Amino acid sequence: MNLQDFLLMRHELLLVIFAAIILLAEIFTGENKNGIRNLSVILFSIITVAGFFPVPEGSLFGGMYKTDLLRVTVKNILNIGVLIVFIQSYSWLKFDENKNKISEYFTLLVSTLIGMNFMISSGDFLMFYLGLELATIPIAALAAYEIYKNRSAEAGVKLILSSALSSGVMLYGISMLYGATGSIYFDEVAPMVVKNAMIALSFIFFFAGMAFKISIVPFHLWTADVYEGAPINITSYLSVISKGAAVFILMIILFTVFRSIIFLWQEVIYVTAVLTMTIGNLFAIRQQNLKRFLAFSSISQAGFILLGVIGGNQIGMSSVIYYILVYIFSNLGAFGVVAAIANVTGKENIDDYNGLYLTNPKLSLTMMLALFSLAGIPPVAGFFGKFFLFIAAAQQGFYILVLIAVVNAIISLYYYLLVVKAMFLNKSENPIKYFKSDWMTRIGLLICILGIVAVGFASGIFEHLNFLSFGIN
Amino acid sequence: MNSEFLILFFGVGVFLVGFAIVFAYFIAPRSSTPQKFEPYECGIPTKGITWLQFNVGYYLFAILFLIFDVEAVFVFPWAVVMKDMGMIAFVEIVIFFFILILGLGYAWKKHALVWE
Amino acid sequence: MLNTGIPLQFFIILATIMFFIGVYGFLTRRNLITILMSVELILNSVNINFVAFNRYLYPDNLQGHFFTLFVIAVAAAESAVAIAIIINIYRRFTTINVEDVDEMKY
Repeated sequence: MNLQDFLLMRHELLLVIFAAIILLAEIFTGENKNGIRNLSVILFSIITVAGFFPVPEGSLFGGMYKTDLLRVTVKNILNIGVLIVFIQSYSWLKFDENKNKISEYFTLLVSTLIGMNFMISSGDFLMFYLGLELATIPIAALAAYEIYKNRSAEAGVKLILSSALSSGVMLYGISMLYGATGSIYFDEVAPMVVKNAMIALSFIFFFAGMAFKISIVPFHLWTADVYEGAPINITSYLSVISKGAAVFILMIILFTVFRSIIFLWQEVIYVTAVLTMTIGNLFAIRQQNLKRFLAFSSISQAGFILLGVIGGNQIGMSSVIYYILVYIFSNLGAFGVVAAIANVTGKENIDDYNGLYLTNPKLSLTMMLALFSLAGIPPVAGFFGKFFLFIAAAQQGFYILVLIAVVNAIISLYYYLLVVKAMFLNKSENPIKYFKSDWMTRIGLLICILGIVAVGFASGIFEHLNFLSFGIN
Repeated sequence: MNSEFLILFFGVGVFLVGFAIVFAYFIAPRSSTPQKFEPYECGIPTKGITWLQFNVGYYLFAILFLIFDVEAVFVFPWAVVMKDMGMIAFVEIVIFFFILILGLGYAWKKHALVWE
Repeated sequence: MLNTGIPLQFFIILATIMFFIGVYGFLTRRNLITILMSVELILNSVNINFVAFNRYLYPDNLQGHFFTLFVIAVAAAESAVAIAIIINIYRRFTTINVEDVDEMKY
């Protein structure tokens, strides 16, 4: 093993160095932490750009760590998302109560990103488990970040306990899989997986654990509370980045390790997809708090993502990654607007947004674009994302499932338009006053808008992803 | 296996500890006062109930101890294979400890190690 | 060496019982610390599973043992963060009963 080999894990190494630098800066600087905030954003931009340089394929540590172009692409997508989150949280970190915890914010957030990168690149269940835990434990600390707020503490404890239970359940599944096959390496487990009771049971446990992380419906109960209680930037991070990474690795494991019991897991995913879409939608309709509203909408989005997973084929993989890319821009755009308004006024309810267009037209238009993209209205990127997912499921003959998904997409259109209606049509006695958000917030929102528009029109992206996904199945 | 080495190790261990105890028994001064039998021997006699609640601030020490104590579990397997792996094992453990020490430095900086 | 007299099934049954006691405790207990202890019970049952499988079925590799070591370390980290958050819950709510920690509801 020499230096060349270490360069294979460039993404992770850069992030580790980043976290170490921030921690060292915290230790060796005085009271004023504003420099750390600037340093972090600049350093992370450099890391994001550095991730795009070509990297060789290969595996390390005897197959525990794998990297190829598809995984690198997903890591780059996540990097972009985290960069947007950093930019959006810039003004929130200026608050007096957050000033003494700036470096913790960046270190913990980057730790979770390191975990996700290792999880994405994992070649065995040990690396996968370590990555998963590294991706969830710091996020619980971040959910409880605002220690002076009751809700933040409650969100933190709910997140850590439910994620601990879910990883315990998942580990039990992995241990049974180890008992049945005698290995924890994906490549060695895959040929040993046959259709018998023990494997089926271990798959169910494993899937239940993963379903907690992605908040698929029977296991979604923690989602709304955690999303509402956590700071907005953490919520947006949880809803897109964590979910994207977990869906990707779930897909890899389903497609490779559990390949031979595909008919078993297709049934499971069929049922959970229908439940997730429907229940997420039905609860989203009656929400008043925007964070809760976006939480339930993200649950139903997870149901749509399962449509790409169910096919178990190349186009399914590429459509899910494409959808994650679109979803990062649209959801971060929506959360960015909510955060910008909450930072200035502290208001988070849909009623408070009445008449927003008259006072803050730019923010309203951004919110509208993001919500249209989430709903999947044709010209914007979200439409193509959903379209490819539907194609992936239809190709495998799941026509009824696609029909249910289309009905759900129409229902979701209704509640997304409720927010748009509040902003553009409803009158209000005391609307939110006009305010100028600072330039960092604007840059964050601008990136989201550009992403939503550009990803929809650049058709080459999906073809490129489809090309990279070749050979996964 | 070199069981004789193990027996020797065990014997020397028992001897050294036993010798210290026995030697101290013979040369140490002894006194017997009521304070000797208090739960906390030093200081003034206790008043009221001794089942007091601990200061919640001590949980920081408990957590730090928990973390740094459990990390030691990785050093033992490393020590077993270190000779076979050579330089790379050494570099890896240095990185491991560097990260741990970063955490310790952070705790120090945040005054978590101050006994208040 | 392998024939210790205790069959593998006993370990598996023990682990299964521990796992479900843990899940039951997680779902029914009202004290946050007890819930955390239930999670530890689940993780320990997983550890028993891994070590028993490794020792009895696949004695020529060490993957199960190593998995156990990592599970122990991660569980410690997890409970450290959880306890810190629970302490904060106690400071905010002056209770660690889950029924009183209900600021957010449907």
